[in-house]
Amino acid sequence: MELGEFRRSLDGWLDGHAAALAPAYPGAGTLDQQVEQLNKVKRLAYDAGWMRWGWPERVGGLGGSTLLRAYLGEALATRDLIESGLYSLTEVLAPTMIDYARPGLAAAMVPSLLRGDETWCQGFSEPGTGSNLGSLSCRAVRAPGGWTVTGQKVWTSLAQYAQRCVLLTRTGSVESAHKGITALFVDMDAPGITVRPIGAMHGVEEFCEVFFDDVTVPEERTLGEEGQGWSVAMDILPYERSTSLWHRGAYLHRRLRELVDTAADGAIDAGALGDVTLSVYAFRARSRATQYRLDSGGHLGAETSIDKVLLASAEQALFDLALDAIPREITVSDDPWDVRWRRDYLYSRAATIYGGSAEIQRNIIARRLLDLGDDR
Amino acid sequence: MDAAERDLFAGSVRTALERHAGAGLAAALADVGWADALDADAASAVSTLFDLQGRAGVTSPALDDVIVGALGAATGAGVVLPALGTWSPPGALSDGRVAVRGVVSAAGAGAAVVLVAVDDRRAHAVATRDLELEPIGGVDPASGLVHVRGQAAPSAAVDVDWPAAVAAGRLALAHELIGASRAMLELAREHALQRVQFGRPIAMFQAVRHRLAETLVAIEAADAVVSAAWEDPTASSAAIAKAMAGRAARTASRHCQQVLAGVGFTTEHPFEGYVRRVLVLDQLLGSTRALTAELGRAMIGERALPPLLPL
Repeated sequence: MELGEFRRSLDGWLDGHAAALAPAYPGAGTLDQQVEQLNKVKRLAYDAGWMRWGWPERVGGLGGSTLLRAYLGEALATRDLIESGLYSLTEVLAPTMIDYARPGLAAAMVPSLLRGDETWCQGFSEPGTGSNLGSLSCRAVRAPGGWTVTGQKVWTSLAQYAQRCVLLTRTGSVESAHKGITALFVDMDAPGITVRPIGAMHGVEEFCEVFFDDVTVPEERTLGEEGQGWSVAMDILPYERSTSLWHRGAYLHRRLRELVDTAADGAIDAGALGDVTLSVYAFRARSRATQYRLDSGGHLGAETSIDKVLLASAEQALFDLALDAIPREITVSDDPWDVRWRRDYLYSRAATIYGGSAEIQRNIIARRLLDLGDDR
Repeated sequence: MDAAERDLFAGSVRTALERHAGAGLAAALADVGWADALDADAASAVSTLFDLQGRAGVTSPALDDVIVGALGAATGAGVVLPALGTWSPPGALSDGRVAVRGVVSAAGAGAAVVLVAVDDRRAHAVATRDLELEPIGGVDPASGLVHVRGQAAPSAAVDVDWPAAVAAGRLALAHELIGASRAMLELAREHALQRVQFGRPIAMFQAVRHRLAETLVAIEAADAVVSAAWEDPTASSAAIAKAMAGRAARTASRHCQQVLAGVGFTTEHPFEGYVRRVLVLDQLLGSTRALTAELGRAMIGERALPPLLPL
């Protein structure tokens, strides 16, 4: 299906099913409500076919360009039907399964993620492993028929809801660094897994600690080969910084529109508003080109760090502007729609931290794009 | 133009910019087919030429050609641009005379007649000798710009599209600002790799690397906005493009100056020429600051966002 036709048909479907798709709660809602809403929208969109476009037929998709996925997420975020951060897990984890899981496993599992029957999480970061992913230490050792996993993960979004986890484990020596990492697909109800949500500044406990205590993982749940975990992690980046960022950008555009639409006369400084708008539109222009590169099969690499820096800067600038324009709503109101501004403002503080910090992105840009050589 | 034709065109423009200046450059650009290229494929012609012109830090009469072309008048004539920092038509009809207040390029100052827009839809050709011309010294005497003012007898009115001319000029200037910013970044990058302190190139220090990274981010953001503007060329998209390009130039000026440090402050290094040039380019047809505030005012007034280029 062509993008233009997809856009028209999808928009028509979204209009026609607006009531069924709408959230049942005002404002931000609780995390339980957000996850339920996400799964509802995915299920309706999957059953109507929309959620299957842009995914390969061997995992229950209908084929077609990744642009269709980019537009679907944009349309859902623009209409405020999904929380784009939660939606991004699908966009990031399904390609991993398609590229690295054994074909039967991918075919069996991916549809349940796309349809919202299941939630998956991404077990990468650890207490001692933030920006330096190659240092991770959650250990998987060979056991009869597979692996035994012991260790801890942190910042694992939605682990308390997840049925599955794409987990990076240390299978080589610590000195083997990024060469000794293996990715596993783990059932979250396996004995030995404990999940503890972490209180977060924006009032949503979406990040978790996950403890693995002699957890058994069958051999056929290995993603790729033993020692290939670094490639699995690196191949996620193109999706994390293409379609997922595009969806977030669509959400920022919506929030900017809402701010302009609702702020009291005289509340918004024209120059500051113009400046934020430039940033939001610049991100969109940059990311749009990235979507087309992904669609044409181009390799996405270090240059997507620019997209990430632009989005994080735009997000913080937008909610800084909101704070100046509607300070009372953000600081002292408990109306559900104001709580949502507050949540978005506080969450935006993390935009330069998660998914590769602003400093790491600039290091990548300096080394890989500006060719400034190593920094040590 | 396809990719090969664009490369060929870029090669000849680059050679022309390297070898010629002033009236000679105008002739050289005519030889490489600039006017035909502008006519046939403005996006390729303008992006190629103005990017290279910005990188080389040279001036040419090409902006006149872009503006005159977009006005819908015949190319080859000079044209009066609005005074620096403004974008309203530079002329006004009063008592049957055309009052002029603006700037012209060196080429425009040398032309026998210049076109003066008096409102969004009409322009008059006036004899250049009837106007007062005063070369602009200012921060960038090499810009070749000339103050023009006075009152002159008008020819018959010509139908023009002034907003289209402003938009086309802004896109061209955006490319020139981006080209100049890329040149600044390249100078700073080379310096950072060569300059050794504390026993290593300063490019190894994270504080230096991040300044250069920040500059590249700003440039690529502007570049993406300008490319998007060509896909959907409107007054709004061109204004956003020029504002972003000016913002990138300011970022490049600040960070690259700091990385180049002492040597970048001397007139023995080419960097300072770019700093001067982008200060003037930013003012032409509206500065980043003015365009940004204008954008914000329009959004507040209409309670709406600028049109969005669809995926």
